[in-house]
Amino acid sequence: MTALSVDHINKYFHEPVSFHVLKDITFDINRGEFVAIIGKSGSGKSTLLYLLSTMDTDYQGTIHINGTQVTGQKQNKLAGFRNEHIGFVFQFHFLLPEFSVLDNVMLPALKLKKKSKEEIEHKAMELLGMLDIKGQEYKRADRISGGQQQRVAIARALINDPAIIMGDEPTGNLDTKNTKTVFDIFRQLAKERGQTIIAVTHDDEFAANCDRIIELSDGVLV
Amino acid sequence: MNTNQKIASTMLVTRLRQLLVAVLSVTFGISMYIFMNSFMAGVNNEQTEITFTSMSHIKVYNDLPFDVTPILPNPEDGDGTVLMINNARNIAYTEGIKNADAIKDAIAELPEVTAVTSQLNQNVFIRNGVSKTSANLSGIETLDEHQLFGTADYLTEGDLYELDRRANGIILGAGLARRIGVGMGDNVSVSTSDGISKTFKVIGQLETGAAATDKTKALVSIQTARQLFSKNKSYATDVMVNIKNYNDAPQVAKSIATLTDYKVEPWQEGNSQLDSANILRDILALAVSLTILIVAGFGIYNIMNMTVNEKIKEIAILKAMGFSGSDVIEIFLTQSVVIGLIGGLTGLVLGNIVSRVVDNTPFEIGIMETLPVEFRTYDYVMAFVFGVIITFLAGYLPAKKASKLDPVDILRG
Repeated sequence: MTALSVDHINKYFHEPVSFHVLKDITFDINRGEFVAIIGKSGSGKSTLLYLLSTMDTDYQGTIHINGTQVTGQKQNKLAGFRNEHIGFVFQFHFLLPEFSVLDNVMLPALKLKKKSKEEIEHKAMELLGMLDIKGQEYKRADRISGGQQQRVAIARALINDPAIIMGDEPTGNLDTKNTKTVFDIFRQLAKERGQTIIAVTHDDEFAANCDRIIELSDGVLV
Repeated sequence: MNTNQKIASTMLVTRLRQLLVAVLSVTFGISMYIFMNSFMAGVNNEQTEITFTSMSHIKVYNDLPFDVTPILPNPEDGDGTVLMINNARNIAYTEGIKNADAIKDAIAELPEVTAVTSQLNQNVFIRNGVSKTSANLSGIETLDEHQLFGTADYLTEGDLYELDRRANGIILGAGLARRIGVGMGDNVSVSTSDGISKTFKVIGQLETGAAATDKTKALVSIQTARQLFSKNKSYATDVMVNIKNYNDAPQVAKSIATLTDYKVEPWQEGNSQLDSANILRDILALAVSLTILIVAGFGIYNIMNMTVNEKIKEIAILKAMGFSGSDVIEIFLTQSVVIGLIGGLTGLVLGNIVSRVVDNTPFEIGIMETLPVEFRTYDYVMAFVFGVIITFLAGYLPAKKASKLDPVDILRG
């Protein structure tokens, strides 16, 4: 079953000079697949990920996620779509520093409003337990270590059970031990829960262990 | 509390110092708005009150006709006639109001009217031996006069109603009495322009605080005055009318004008300087206080703008998680509205305190004892409404900016 399909994508940058970043890219990703997008700096891999994430809507071609065409939809509608179907992990954790760890994890679910506050809290606790951050729930997000913050960010990405989890160099800022932890979590999610993982990475070892590698070179699929 | 409000409140309480500064600027703006307007209203009221101690809201009197029709019509063009009238004059054929009582009764029927009285005013000379001075003699109806002007309260000596009981009694302005050197119980001689003299006994002294009045005013009962000037029973020179709201005088004057052919004059017409001074003070107060509020608004704008810049990453991450532009607007607008409401409420309290302090500040000039302040609900409502509107606008612009942020630009670094 196809989780994501990309059809003849072209993307241009206009500033500072006109530049053809992504050139006629087409591929499908199946449900439960763990995919790494690799390529040199400037090859367009992050740009591609932001197109897939529905945050960047300025491109030609079409993108379907879970059978829904996201191309051409309004920003506010896409925001709702992201909330429900896409989980995000960034290179920098980007937690809200004034909120507690638990609040950070709960926010996307509170926004979605599909469950009661108690259920969400229960679910968040469960995720934090799974990611081994028990005991830190009520600390402020900027008072825990970098590795813990990144794991909290993953918990936040998982709270709404998204079909697709996207990572923009999710381990770029972590040491070997934490990188392994994060990788194992992703692996487990893809295998046990059937969630699709797409991660942009520089880390060859990380990529080598994925199900599939999509390599970009100067905006073209290799 | 929904999720957006929770985010807004967390952002607010984690930056207490900025919150305090923003709240204080609103508090200050609103309290100054209230104080300025209350103070100006107080000054206007005091001014008007002094004015109305000797002046009524509407005055009816016998005036020279306005439009004087020419005695002869203009000759038609081309027939060679030359029109020449020498020394044409506009002459008052009648003096005063002959049937003042009838007019008075008719005016008293109007619903807006609170009090009516008739007066007989003439210039006279008052002598005490060799010292003499000109004076403005008013024949008054004591009861109605007091109802209009509170005259009895301004008597430093004697009793106003004594005038009704003593046909030869006279009340003199304090300045006037001093000028001719008389006190209570002394006799003065009053002579009219027609050469009639009569001796009166001083039975009271009047001090209104308006020096011009105190130096020239002399009161007798209206019957005595009619007798002195050999006038008929219902004669008066002026009919004075007070109405419920003195600002409505022009409209009420119009409806009185339908009852009589005499000149009906609202106070604004004869005293446009007072009216314009009141309006100018109001404009000044409004301009100053609005300026203060707008400056406070800029303060909030600045703080909210800084907050948006500071939180730019968080905004991007919220959007990436699926918060829409309108959610972001709600988050930031909630913050400024909370600032506006807290600042507004404390501003109302502070404004009231400042006004009270000023209201009790000694200021002993003329008949005043403390600085005049008027407490009007209207000012408080307006201050609050303006304050909230301005904080809303000041918060909306940065919030709008935040909602337009493109998360991709920020997250890519």
